[in-house]
Amino acid sequence: MSVQEILADENELTHLLGAQQAVVLSTRVRLARNLEGFPFPGWAKPAHRKEIAERCIEALTQLPRFRKSHVFKMGDLPDLDRAVLVERHLVSKELASGKSGAAVISRDQTCSVMVNEEDHLRIQVVKAGWHLRGTWNIAEQLDDAIGATLGIAFSDQLGFLTACPTNVGTGLRASAMVHLPGLCLAGHIEKVTRALSQDGLAVRGWLGEGTEAAGNIFQISNQQTLGLSEDAILRHLGGWVKTLVDQEWNARRKVAQEEGERFVDRLSRSLGLLRHARLLTSAESMNMLSHLRLACDMGCLPEERRHVVDRLMIEGQPAHVQARQGAELDSDGRDRRRATAVREALRDFPEVGSPTA
Amino acid sequence: MANPLKCSVCDAVATVHLTQIVQGKVTKVDFCEACAAKGGAGDAAVFKLADAVNAVTPAPAITCPQCGFTDVEFRRRGRLGCPSCWQVFGVALGGLLTKVQHEIQHVGRAPAGTVPVGQLRHRLLAAQVELTAAIAAEDYETAAKLRDEVARITTQLDTL
Repeated sequence: MSVQEILADENELTHLLGAQQAVVLSTRVRLARNLEGFPFPGWAKPAHRKEIAERCIEALTQLPRFRKSHVFKMGDLPDLDRAVLVERHLVSKELASGKSGAAVISRDQTCSVMVNEEDHLRIQVVKAGWHLRGTWNIAEQLDDAIGATLGIAFSDQLGFLTACPTNVGTGLRASAMVHLPGLCLAGHIEKVTRALSQDGLAVRGWLGEGTEAAGNIFQISNQQTLGLSEDAILRHLGGWVKTLVDQEWNARRKVAQEEGERFVDRLSRSLGLLRHARLLTSAESMNMLSHLRLACDMGCLPEERRHVVDRLMIEGQPAHVQARQGAELDSDGRDRRRATAVREALRDFPEVGSPTA
Repeated sequence: MANPLKCSVCDAVATVHLTQIVQGKVTKVDFCEACAAKGGAGDAAVFKLADAVNAVTPAPAITCPQCGFTDVEFRRRGRLGCPSCWQVFGVALGGLLTKVQHEIQHVGRAPAGTVPVGQLRHRLLAAQVELTAAIAAEDYETAAKLRDEVARITTQLDTL
């Protein structure tokens, strides 16, 4: 089983035309679950962790959803392959940095289960665009199927028992990856972030906890997991994402109207730079690609080009660039390879026009 | 260059420096490596400091019989040892849960094949509130339905 297959297989986040939407890049649902009678991974002895991994992988690979799935044991993977999985959000940095973790990833990369992360099982479902209910329904089905084969630690009082008190109860973390260039350009992003935090939502960067918001992309998720039903958690997040999308569109239209020609110039310059640069850093390409995504959303570029931009954002990350090359590259080497890939992908892009949306 | 600090026990050059602050009173002690390793026997200040060091890492008060995890370990890691720890540390965690979660009662799903007690309790409370409102509004049709629902959930919870 190789990470190259993950890169080569087309999936809805990088390839499926029509799956992408303006503003919301993806919807994600995560459930933390643990086996009864076993210590949590952080406290378990290596022999226990091994047994947990074997039991979980055995049970997971029997499920129809995980037919022909990818099974990766972190201890067997080279550093670069683990980094690719982290960049794809298929595993966490924490799982990748240990030796006893594993990941079972469905063929279409929509569902993945991390084994022996902070909890025995972290069930994750991700869909391109904004599909909170659809994503949740798949997670719920998976949870039931897993619960029917493995004894899950649960108490009537506290719900699903987890290693960390911040996850106990539902064990549910629902999130939206949102692209907010309008609010960033208008200088409202701090105000919005503050409002979200005050109402119990966490705002993080593109790669999760402690990362910067490269490319104006933010991850919004619930914090409370106990004392609220799953439905209430989803409704709360859903309400805010809807508000955020409306505010982002208002900000975009306002900026476009106020800046007029300068707005189109800004987007056009980004396309020009991406098309001609010979060396592109990760941060630079993310910020320029953010402009192209904005251009696709606003009708300055054809909407059907949006998935190319999304794919370049994912594949332009450092480990992806090196994995594509099949070798580790130094900083200049990565920047050169990234620039080449971007140049080729954007070669037949039309000129940036005036906004229509 | 200033004179090097001397060991509080044997006057050799001190390379280990400890500071103790008790109720605003600062005590500083310096050791050479040899005396630090021995624990600096014979000096009153050293004994006091040893007490202070012990106070920082107190003996565990609670230990999980299932996995051997302790409250000291929890303070260090912020994570529990096993599912049973939740029962063992439950009371001690109450305050923390209220702080991080604002709630202490699960009202969501249960594992496949089990009765979702949390959901039932949650619905029972909501139905009781709705029932009172329906009676106040003289909507007896709705009230009758809610009264049946309350009775049904109560029976269901009682038979668990």
